[in-house]
Amino acid sequence: MNLRVLAAHIALLFRDIARTPSFVVPAVIFPAMFFSIMGVPFARSNAAIANTITASYVGFAIVGVALFQFGVGIAMERGRPWERYVRSLPVSIEVRFISRVVVASCFATLAAGLVCLIAKLFTPVSYTLEQWLLLALYAIMGAVPFVMLGVAIAYVAPPRGATPITNIVYLLSAYCGGFWIPPQYLPSFVAPISPWLPTRQYGELLWSVANGHNPTHAVLMLGYFTLAFTAVAIAAYRRDERVRYA
Amino acid sequence: MTTITFKDVCKRYGQTQALQNVSFTVERGECVALLGPNGAGKTTALEILLGLRTANSGIAQIDGSVACTPQSSGFPDALRVGELIGFAAAHYARASSVESVLEAFDLSSYQNARVGGLSGGEQRRVALALAFAGNTDVVVLDEPSTGLDAESRRRLWSQIQTGIANRTTLFTTHYLEEAEALATRIVLIDRGNVRFDGTPDEFRSRFGAKRVEYVDGSGSKRVVASGDTDAYVRNLVHSGEPFSQLTVTQSSFEDIFLSLTGAAS
Repeated sequence: MNLRVLAAHIALLFRDIARTPSFVVPAVIFPAMFFSIMGVPFARSNAAIANTITASYVGFAIVGVALFQFGVGIAMERGRPWERYVRSLPVSIEVRFISRVVVASCFATLAAGLVCLIAKLFTPVSYTLEQWLLLALYAIMGAVPFVMLGVAIAYVAPPRGATPITNIVYLLSAYCGGFWIPPQYLPSFVAPISPWLPTRQYGELLWSVANGHNPTHAVLMLGYFTLAFTAVAIAAYRRDERVRYA
Repeated sequence: MTTITFKDVCKRYGQTQALQNVSFTVERGECVALLGPNGAGKTTALEILLGLRTANSGIAQIDGSVACTPQSSGFPDALRVGELIGFAAAHYARASSVESVLEAFDLSSYQNARVGGLSGGEQRRVALALAFAGNTDVVVLDEPSTGLDAESRRRLWSQIQTGIANRTTLFTTHYLEEAEALATRIVLIDRGNVRFDGTPDEFRSRFGAKRVEYVDGSGSKRVVASGDTDAYVRNLVHSGEPFSQLTVTQSSFEDIFLSLTGAAS
């Protein structure tokens, strides 16, 4: 792999995204803002609640970056003439995907880091260093199905439809998955479907750091979601390639 | 030595035959214009050459490193000119410095300007600079001066002429004047078929150096490009058909092209 080319793609993508408020605001600022408005008032009551709510909003932040970076980002790019130019350059699809993963990781760290900073400053969050590291590990592992869901949306949705579709998927699945309201308080019509959502399983994985539950079931479920979204993403990608570049 | 080869390339989009057994070569150091009206198949041919599309049959290949310029600029608006050129250059081992490319295309003062804020002409210059940033053996330019006014176009041609020196170049255009100004050879493509392949001088001598204009008996203006205008006028006089305001002038490339492709009607 040519590291100079990889660095060039990372730098260009990072600059392009960092200067695009329509990405930065919803993906990086919104989670911290939502956490401040809806999470912090409840999290201040005690350390255990603060730990759980912080984990929820870390998940909310990571899912947002994964969906917007891979869903909206790829969808908008594939609709631009610039994409044809980039495809004519001597660069592999792997380098382009890795550059996107690196850039997404930077923004995810920023978005989740803001949530953690607010939690540390304004709530009695009491994770040990090991727990913070475990939370970070779970946050990265659990993000994989959302990356693949983003890619699937990018190739299924029309370029202009990707933003509203991603917003709907993001906000609805965050709510129904229990990121904003603890699962036991979800309305009766939402509660039965909640366990079948990837956000709920991601939440269970992250909450296990705070409540000590065994995360095996959540990991397995996220693995199934990864397989399913990857299959859809590959099929949609191949169809798009046939249509645009045959 | 052959650098670009098209051999019996066919491409079909549904019921439309975009390219029909297209064959031509570009030798090292040549600058070839792929000339044709809109929808002739020029861009399809380039896209197949660059690997952006696959041909239904035939071979399109390049021997050496290649860089291209996009037809529609459509750059990511938030990026700066210097960043885009540096990005393109990073893909090639023998790339030119960003500063030298900016200077060659009169873009030095725009190095830190966001590309979204540039005018159409400035964006075309950036698009061209991208093709030359890699200092590649071959450059492929897709309609390099589309959308520019006459003055900007001429300025761009002089920059292209500097860039293509000692390089193999294939460019598409629907401006005959552009082909004449830049190319050492013209390949005329129309409705997916190669109609002519030769030098600009051969093009003129084969398809008519002069044109006859007159008003016929019904009052309609008639324009005819012909290699033998004397014979044409003689036949017109002998035919007994009434006419007036007859003039014989040197044909422009445009006249020849319209006459050849039938686009005049």
